[in-house]
Amino acid sequence: MVPEFRANSGETFSALHSYARFLTGPTDIGVKLRDSPGFPMQRSRNTSGTEASVKFKTFAMFVGPSVFLMLLFIAFPLVTVLVNSFQVTQPIFTTQEVETCTPGFLQQTCVTEVKTIPVLDDDGNTVTRTEWVGFRSYANVLGGERAIAALSGLDFGALLQIDFWKALRFTLTFTLITLPLVLIVGLAIAVVVNNASRAVKGPVIFVSLLPFIITPVIGALSIRWLFYGDGIVTVWLEALWNTDLSVAANGWAIEFLMMFYRVWHVAPFAFVIFYAGLQTVNQDTLESAVIDGASRWERLRYVVIPHLMPLIVFITLIHLMDAYRAFEEVIGFSSESHRITLQYLTYDYLTPDDAGNRAVSSASASAMLTMIGVVILLAAPLRRTWRDHRGG
Amino acid sequence: MLMKKLALAGAVAMLGTTSAMACAFQNEVEVKSLSAGFEAWKAVTDAMSECGNVSAELDQEFRTKQPAAFAANPSLYALGGVSNGTVTPLLNEGTIRPLDDLVEAYGQNLSPNQLIRIDGQIMAIAMMVNTQHMMYRTDIFEELGLEVPTTYDEVLTAAAAIQEAGVVEYPLGATMKSGWNLAQDFNNMFVGFGGDFYNDDSTPAVNSEAGVKALEMMKALTEYMDPEYLVSDSTYVQQQFQQGKIAMANLWASRGGAMNDEAESSVVGKVGSAAAPLAMAGGVPATTLWWDGIVVAKNIDDATAEAAFRVAMEGLDSEMVQGANDTAIWLVEGYQPSDMAQGAIATATAQPAPPSYPSTSQMGLMHTALGNELPSFFTGDRTATEALAAVEEAYSSAAKEAGLLQ
Amino acid sequence: MSDASIPRAMRQPFSLKLASNAFLLVWLLLAAFPLVWVLLMSFKSPVDAFSSNAWEVISGPRTLADGAGISIVDIVLFVVFAWGAIKAATVWLMPMATAEGTLQKIFNWAVIALGFGVLAVIGLFFLLPVVAAPIEGLLGPLGQPIFGLTTQHYAAVWVENAFYENFRNSMVVTIGVVTVSLTVGTLAGYGLARSGSTFAFWILIIALIFRALPHSVLVAGYLPVFINSAELLSPILGENAPTLYGQPLAVIAVLVSINQPFTIWMLRSFFQNIPVDLDESARVDGCTHFQAFRWVIMPVMWPGVITTGLFSFLLAYNDFLVTSLLLDASNQTMVPAIAGYFNRETTTTDQVEAVAAAVSITAPLFLLVMIFQRQIVSGLTAGAVKG
Repeated sequence: MVPEFRANSGETFSALHSYARFLTGPTDIGVKLRDSPGFPMQRSRNTSGTEASVKFKTFAMFVGPSVFLMLLFIAFPLVTVLVNSFQVTQPIFTTQEVETCTPGFLQQTCVTEVKTIPVLDDDGNTVTRTEWVGFRSYANVLGGERAIAALSGLDFGALLQIDFWKALRFTLTFTLITLPLVLIVGLAIAVVVNNASRAVKGPVIFVSLLPFIITPVIGALSIRWLFYGDGIVTVWLEALWNTDLSVAANGWAIEFLMMFYRVWHVAPFAFVIFYAGLQTVNQDTLESAVIDGASRWERLRYVVIPHLMPLIVFITLIHLMDAYRAFEEVIGFSSESHRITLQYLTYDYLTPDDAGNRAVSSASASAMLTMIGVVILLAAPLRRTWRDHRGG
Repeated sequence: MLMKKLALAGAVAMLGTTSAMACAFQNEVEVKSLSAGFEAWKAVTDAMSECGNVSAELDQEFRTKQPAAFAANPSLYALGGVSNGTVTPLLNEGTIRPLDDLVEAYGQNLSPNQLIRIDGQIMAIAMMVNTQHMMYRTDIFEELGLEVPTTYDEVLTAAAAIQEAGVVEYPLGATMKSGWNLAQDFNNMFVGFGGDFYNDDSTPAVNSEAGVKALEMMKALTEYMDPEYLVSDSTYVQQQFQQGKIAMANLWASRGGAMNDEAESSVVGKVGSAAAPLAMAGGVPATTLWWDGIVVAKNIDDATAEAAFRVAMEGLDSEMVQGANDTAIWLVEGYQPSDMAQGAIATATAQPAPPSYPSTSQMGLMHTALGNELPSFFTGDRTATEALAAVEEAYSSAAKEAGLLQ
Repeated sequence: MSDASIPRAMRQPFSLKLASNAFLLVWLLLAAFPLVWVLLMSFKSPVDAFSSNAWEVISGPRTLADGAGISIVDIVLFVVFAWGAIKAATVWLMPMATAEGTLQKIFNWAVIALGFGVLAVIGLFFLLPVVAAPIEGLLGPLGQPIFGLTTQHYAAVWVENAFYENFRNSMVVTIGVVTVSLTVGTLAGYGLARSGSTFAFWILIIALIFRALPHSVLVAGYLPVFINSAELLSPILGENAPTLYGQPLAVIAVLVSINQPFTIWMLRSFFQNIPVDLDESARVDGCTHFQAFRWVIMPVMWPGVITTGLFSFLLAYNDFLVTSLLLDASNQTMVPAIAGYFNRETTTTDQVEAVAAAVSITAPLFLLVMIFQRQIVSGLTAGAVKG
């Protein structure tokens, strides 16, 4: 059922493929690929004022719907989050005696107790009060005095007891360890698949893509079942080492499983992109490298990897963003008691408890801190994009 | 085999459409309900659907959706399924209606025990009670000549004996998954040691002698458990029982039916139940009482409310109970307590009786704080007092943000 | 890429080939094993499915004891059936799908895949048992069940729990998201690729930062607004103000927006590789920008669009956070429906049913990748991913 795979001869894209060839040119692909192809329209811009404004109008018509959607559904909530992080909205409470009768198995028990309940106005709505609190919610999330004490005492153990720092520590480790693994494993699979004989390529690519396309929650659970409790892999490992293993009782084991799952899930994405990139490596350059006596490793290092550099940057960008807001792993592996991520922290603040309380302000502050973290992480790849833009 | 099943399913579906007879009236008004999705709710909402025009949402996210959906005008749902924990936000925000006149008109079959009264007004109709109590392997206890433990010290002795005999993988199971479950286990034990969650000025008071004792007892129990207890929720403990891996656990009464489910369990007929053990002599059983029931939204017109209530009464009739007798400890007339229900009944009627779960705005915050901060005690990162101090700090900071503490 | 075309110096020594193939084998095993295992679990009774003994999960003694098993005859028949189905698909159906124009082709593929799926299910679950029964009776020991295998969980999921409704809802949301996302994203991607202005650049950078936003924050922001929308919008729309909560259209809009940053980045870099001369010459011939886009660019843009569309499909099809919070029961999609089996109050049977449901929802993804894997790679090759 698997269609035979021929990367270089699909009829639908043969025309485009020749463009790609045309653009990449005969030599020095690395540079060519990195540079933008050039914009005649852009160069002719600003020659006359009217033409520029017409251009902008056309541009706006093309881009408008997309920008509108992003403004409405992303930018607007984002502004709300920013505002909420600086203010606290709380109901006004009053205390009053309430008699509550609840069932036993045979007869009711009635208790009268003083309860704190919110004040309702004439329409039956809760009366609330909104207060500007500045950075207080940020201070709360960061751990307040406990964090300052721990930092000034250089007591990292105490610092990592605070949820935010615990989450930050894990999220950063998680992101930075999985990133090179995803790149290396992805590239390795791409090279090896590219190297495989043509007959098996189709099925091999198909199987390799499975961990990526599978619904994330299901993927995480499928790995969890193999390891948790008396999962079969745990049983095998126990038999192998003749010990008693409890994967879910150890923080480091859970951490390892979460990273394993992430690499398992994302490496196919890196693989398929690298594989596509490998199809456009210029064979002439490779051959001249061979003539110059370059070893296999040198060819990979000095020809192939520079050629794939834009793709490496692309995957790095995407992976940094996705791994930094990791969330499914915590749910899928129930790691809350040992490891939490920053997005989980936000989610936890937002989830109402049985009594309906939710800490919107703290959640907003934690979300903004997550955002700041992402921007710092993305700074390096973004600077590069900026340079390319200027250069192009 | 499969064909037979398909035919059966078809027949059931046919029955569903023709059996409006099972419902005393033909409902013409559209009624939507939102509740949790466990077995008892499936039985009740199926019975309600027989009246026609009922769409029931059994949703694991109901806690997130319910307060907002009931606050909308018009309310998105006419009926809500609540427990004594989740009814609090609806009561606080005044989004559910008093049911006195509806009970008068249509509630002939309700027993007074089912009517949840707040300041004299009926605000909810309870359908079942639930509690965590002792479940144990009768065959193992008999074989080893053990008495069913009535206190947690006896639980430890029995666990040691079972471990010694090596008949099961782990003597004990517990619903100690970090978060809600672990906090609830602590609540049970804390109540059992006579603890009070708050001082009179509503500042937290869990960092007390009772709190430390509760944590120490829980830690002592974990010695006899699967080391993965921090991911173990009710379903996990239930599976451990079903697969014959544990010999006793303080487990929800609503899980009793699953022990004797032929399709899942390898210990059919070998699990018994008894009252929840005491934490200290002369104290209350170390557990809390819960009820589940229905509420009717305020922001709907009276005709819809009337239809919703009538439909709900059909869902809570004895006919439904006969079809689902073992899925819950029903409060509905016609319920026949099975052997598995004995533990829950013994717990609920114990003297002194265990308290109802103390659902308040404060308790919601306390429950969350406990669930988030206690795991560090069990992983060994904090001592009992450190963990409890962290709970108090987390609670205070959350309570200030919520406006409950100044 | 046959051996003859490779220069001598680039041929690989045997040891390298061996290592390369060994690595590939290990990877394929890692990639497939958890999923194959889940597939296996879905056919067993709860006791076998969660057994700690691997052999019990494979052979299913408890399932067999409950009277559900397959015999050698069944296995042979199944293999014959599967082989026939694959042959039929490749020999008859594949040629049927060829057509002029990419859209037409996609349509043909969709119809044929659907028809094939239905026929396969009918053949497997209805025809095969009927054929197998008399043969089993004739063959004696060979007809005795040896492996425990039951389809009861699939029947429970699809028939009793009416999972097809969730399937339909998933399709509505997914197709909606892919269509709108690509329409809006293609226009924007093209506009951004053809404008080198700093404004366009900033749109791209801000879109990138938007993409980094944790979804739980966005969704929690939508929920109260969506639930109260009838009240909030009534000053503007009067009586007709809709309640957005539970509306597939609202969820489609949200998912499209969340996915826009990725879509426009992919499509922009793809369009950048289509030479500007192409639309410039059309413009010289008197076309407007839109006409140039319609007649010159659209015919050559499909590889990139299909690849991007697949990513949109995956996002919409696999989404849990948005759909579980913003849709009610009547419109619930498949992934939240499955998660519903795993809540605090589930039973072991529920869990195995959830596994069966999970396998079911993976099947369309399988088909999709089988059909489009060539396009994915070629679309990426054609430049859709340059950063």
